Amino acid sequence: MNLILEKQTLPALLRFWQEDHDVYLPQKLGQFSHFMPLQEQTDPLLGEPHNTRIPPKSLFLPMTETLVKYTKYGTYKEVDPEVESRIIFAIRPCDAQAVKLLDTVFEQERYTDPLWVERRNNTITIGLGCHEPCHNGFCTTVGYGPFNKTGLDALLTDLGDSYMVETLTEAGEKCFQHLTPASAQTEALVAEIQLNAYNSMEIAFPTVNLKEKLEQNFNSDYWKEISESCLSCGVCTFLCPTCFCFDIVDETQRYERVRNWDTCMFRVYSLEASGHNPRPTRVERTRQRISHKFVYWIDQVNQIGCTGCGRCVRYCPVGLDIRAMLRQVQQLPLEVSHAV
Amino acid sequence: MPDIEKIKAEAKRLLQEGVVDVVVAFKAGDTPLHPQPAFFRSPEEIDNLVYGSLCQNNLATFLTRMPKQSKLGMVVRGCENRSVNALVVEGQKLRENLYLIGVPCEGIVDWRKIVNQVGEAVLNVREEADLVMVETRQGQATFNKKELLHESCLRCIHPTPISADILIGEALPEGDPNLARTAVEEFESLPREERFAWFQQEAERCIRCYACREACPMCYCEECFVDHTNPRWTESGATPAGMQAWHIVRAFHQAGRCTSCGACERACPMDIKMTYLTEKLNHDIRSKYNFEAGMDAQTQPPFATVTLDDKNRFTV
Repeated sequence: MNLILEKQTLPALLRFWQEDHDVYLPQKLGQFSHFMPLQEQTDPLLGEPHNTRIPPKSLFLPMTETLVKYTKYGTYKEVDPEVESRIIFAIRPCDAQAVKLLDTVFEQERYTDPLWVERRNNTITIGLGCHEPCHNGFCTTVGYGPFNKTGLDALLTDLGDSYMVETLTEAGEKCFQHLTPASAQTEALVAEIQLNAYNSMEIAFPTVNLKEKLEQNFNSDYWKEISESCLSCGVCTFLCPTCFCFDIVDETQRYERVRNWDTCMFRVYSLEASGHNPRPTRVERTRQRISHKFVYWIDQVNQIGCTGCGRCVRYCPVGLDIRAMLRQVQQLPLEVSHAV
Repeated sequence: MPDIEKIKAEAKRLLQEGVVDVVVAFKAGDTPLHPQPAFFRSPEEIDNLVYGSLCQNNLATFLTRMPKQSKLGMVVRGCENRSVNALVVEGQKLRENLYLIGVPCEGIVDWRKIVNQVGEAVLNVREEADLVMVETRQGQATFNKKELLHESCLRCIHPTPISADILIGEALPEGDPNLARTAVEEFESLPREERFAWFQQEAERCIRCYACREACPMCYCEECFVDHTNPRWTESGATPAGMQAWHIVRAFHQAGRCTSCGACERACPMDIKMTYLTEKLNHDIRSKYNFEAGMDAQTQPPFATVTLDDKNRFTV
């Protein structure tokens, strides 16, 4: 259903939701925006041309969380996530899509992550589409878009003084049940806004044959070239909405087993107990990061594991740009297989 | 701004004559705000070499990432020259395997200051004398370069490389050491609670990506203390204790080694301030030991030396 939400009534609506939910929305933290719970004095930051600095994956997979508490006498207790019902408001489509992709990791048939599932089941996600797509984002290139609906319960389109709300699930419908329906005229306008936004985005790199080229050039010098200036820090992966690697550590001083974000860009990530490291240098680690997103994700769930949010481009301390890296991959040779 | 053609000519000569195997400098970035560190191995590649105020990294951080025996050429500014010296002092490279093309530095522009004012849709950046012209989707904005400089550069003491093999351009006057001191004293004059609150607010925003460590030329340990698992020195997670420990211990390891380049802050994806800690240590090392890191390629930093006539302050 398509409804109209006047911007001036938004604060009241947020407060209304707050009676039954924890409401998270982008707010200013220092010089950037960050998803934080609605407080008494909250000033929502919805006009930002791009995303929150830290992706909202952190609301489902926190940077650090305790899994198990134990005692020195050998007894232990799993931590109950105790997630209140939550609404994430104004999540961008790329980030919602990313969370949906991560469901395939944490909600597999045989391996289900109870903490992830608990948080997902208790969260309603309301998206804010990008009528002015951000400059370094490239969502359309990787098959998504500025008004992508996957992973959302409702999607908002900014119309100046109001939003048009497209409810996409029952939960989404419930959140906006007292609003007036949008006119056919408004619906047409929204369709135009969405299409214009989509069309305004350039294709950052061709994805045709990209997977095959990456696979075939596994041992290419290309990896040496592009990784030489890489610092092997964790900026691109920690700020990536689809990177999900974690490390489980026993904090023995406080008798807790915790999990922390981890990244394939760190040397110690792949360091084995024997001392052997299968990815000893930045060359292998850079290859892993790119290949995971553009080869292994496709192998596993037939989707590119990048939603084009642009954070890695924006914040890489040495200005490495994944779009340029992949344009360069497209210059590499492709052997056509003639096998029968 | 030094003559880019002269820098290129010298870099080209080094490769042509086989003086060095590789020249480390910058090339144009894929986005206008981010020139990239680059490694030039043939004279033809030098055409892509750029130099400008947006070159935000301290290139000396790549010195320990290249093979020890290789002959390195490097385009260095004042702070980078000192970092190179400090690394030579620490035995990370033989000075004779280095050729430094020195460039007097007018300061590094903090790209965040541009983005905070005009947004990220930057199409082109041009520099002319003291002006920085930024072209965006919405139009053009002109800034005074000084307004955009990174804080570390505003209080820079040694903008001119002190021991380069060749200096391209005129040496610049030394900076005022009082500026560095004043920044430290201002922070120290705050009540203890306020200082701690500031420290907490900065440290606890950390995501432990270690970009600060990797951007720093002096952080070259094969295994950093935070990565050590047996024994474990700090909490592993992004908890207040873990993040505070990281920021304090990282800073302490820089005492007498930091050249105040500010590359750590410029690399941070969370805009965390760090130089207020290292500047305090630099100030202490300057005032108590009359030492500044990297002012020559021989003198060990005070905390790296032990001599028989060291004072035993705990005896009478």
